[in-house]
Amino acid sequence: MKCIQNEWSCYSLGDHAIVFALEAKIEVSILEKLKRLNTFIVNKKIIGILDVIPSYHTLTIVYDISLFLSTSNKKSNQLAFFCEDLLNEFENNFLKSEFNEETIYHVPVCYENIFALDIENLSLENQISYEEIIHLHTSKKYEVYSIGFLPGFTYMGTVDEKIKISRLEKPRNEVPAGSVGIAGLQTGIYPTNSPGGWQIIGRTPWKIFDPNPDKLAKFKVGDKVKFYSISKMEFDELNEYK
Amino acid sequence: MSIKILHKGLSDSIQDHGRYGYQHLGIQTNGCIDLLSASLANYILQNDTNAPVIELHFPSSEITFLDEHIICISGANFVPVLNEKSVSLNKPIAVCKNDVLTMLQPLEGTIAYVAIKGNYNEPSWLHSYSYYNKRLDKGDIIHFSAQHLAKNKLIKNYNEDEYNPIVEKIQSHLFSNINPIKILPGPAWQDLQSDSLNDLLNTPFTISTQRNRMGYALTGAKLNLTIPNAYLSSAVTRGTLQLLPNGNIIVLMADHQTIGGYANLGQIILVDLPRFAQMKSGQTLKFTTTNLEEAQTLYQKMYAPFKY
Repeated sequence: MKCIQNEWSCYSLGDHAIVFALEAKIEVSILEKLKRLNTFIVNKKIIGILDVIPSYHTLTIVYDISLFLSTSNKKSNQLAFFCEDLLNEFENNFLKSEFNEETIYHVPVCYENIFALDIENLSLENQISYEEIIHLHTSKKYEVYSIGFLPGFTYMGTVDEKIKISRLEKPRNEVPAGSVGIAGLQTGIYPTNSPGGWQIIGRTPWKIFDPNPDKLAKFKVGDKVKFYSISKMEFDELNEYK
Repeated sequence: MSIKILHKGLSDSIQDHGRYGYQHLGIQTNGCIDLLSASLANYILQNDTNAPVIELHFPSSEITFLDEHIICISGANFVPVLNEKSVSLNKPIAVCKNDVLTMLQPLEGTIAYVAIKGNYNEPSWLHSYSYYNKRLDKGDIIHFSAQHLAKNKLIKNYNEDEYNPIVEKIQSHLFSNINPIKILPGPAWQDLQSDSLNDLLNTPFTISTQRNRMGYALTGAKLNLTIPNAYLSSAVTRGTLQLLPNGNIIVLMADHQTIGGYANLGQIILVDLPRFAQMKSGQTLKFTTTNLEEAQTLYQKMYAPFKY
């Protein structure tokens, strides 16, 4: 199943998912549209939809085949119409739809050497001082483009070209929870201790994933994040992992 | 009112149909790898087909029962014995206090399920009982409601003629079906080089020993793309054929990550995924394409007995 509607392309992913895709770019305007389509679809509470997953330029819905097809007389060969109708309704309401309030998180990060496992690497490779790295990393507002890899792992972008760096050639066996890293033009936060290859430049004292059902992931796709630098002493005070 | 793990298995866990509704937060669905066999075991016990079951790989956990229960074993044939006496698959079985269930050898298939009649009395997380990041360990005690065997009519009233056609249909689909595994082309299908596309559809692939609940790695023809294998990460589903940078395919299974950035070549259709999952390492298979309508029709036919 495939259909094209204005800037959207829509296709089946296997037999129990549908993807709504925009141009494959890391861009705020694309993220903004996805976020709105996400809200629109979630609010429709369509029977049989199990998951709605935004990531960069795609929004994927996962459905229960029997439940999803049993409602509103959908048939396998009519799913393209379903998508067209959905996108039509969305676009007709797009301008009218309420603009979601922007959520900006100001996230503390300690960039001191004890946590900044790869800041020396970055400094040497990009010929840039520690102060400049911290300044550049904290001066931009980032978009959360995707959550995944691990529960709550937050992919944000994009960092200044001057602090762009590729992943470690050999990933670490264990990156501590809260570590803030860079991979290419993206910056991310590790939610739990885990193996990983991002170059670590600091650590946040915030717990960004908590299995408590009332908490779970601190951020969601479309949120904005701005980092600010804190000392080790402040880190200890704010430490949520204690 | 419970069961106890006497010996730890390779990678055994409690699973249900999975944890949906949280993938946007990066939370994996988990759930039974072979949903068809798990549903069948519950169906035979007249449980909710989504009830949590014990998923066994081989070597399997050895289980003792701390009360009277009725169980059903479905999926792989690991030659199950109860107190060293052979027991049937796909039938309700009465077990008494202190009985010991052992799996002797992996005769057919790779994943067996033990369903237990009645309620599962352990906490859920986010509306699912599926284990995440956890395996059954020696000494674990899992609480299920006990059955009073003398009063229970399930076994006495079990009508084989009613269940046999369904059991046979599922068993033959899982273990005697030699047709190619059906897939639907995915977003990176168009990026395959033409000879690679030809290899994908016409040459055999072998299930390697690199397999676990996250994914099964295949060996076979190395596939190449016309563009670099780096995509913006996007949601993936169970059954996804992901092309790794080394040219090999990994098929994502129940514990897969929610998003992936490698080439998404396509998906094994849901009805064929349990059949694929039950294949042993070293077994070869071929892929063939199908269409959405056929995939969904086959799924609905296969699962028809379980829909309420």
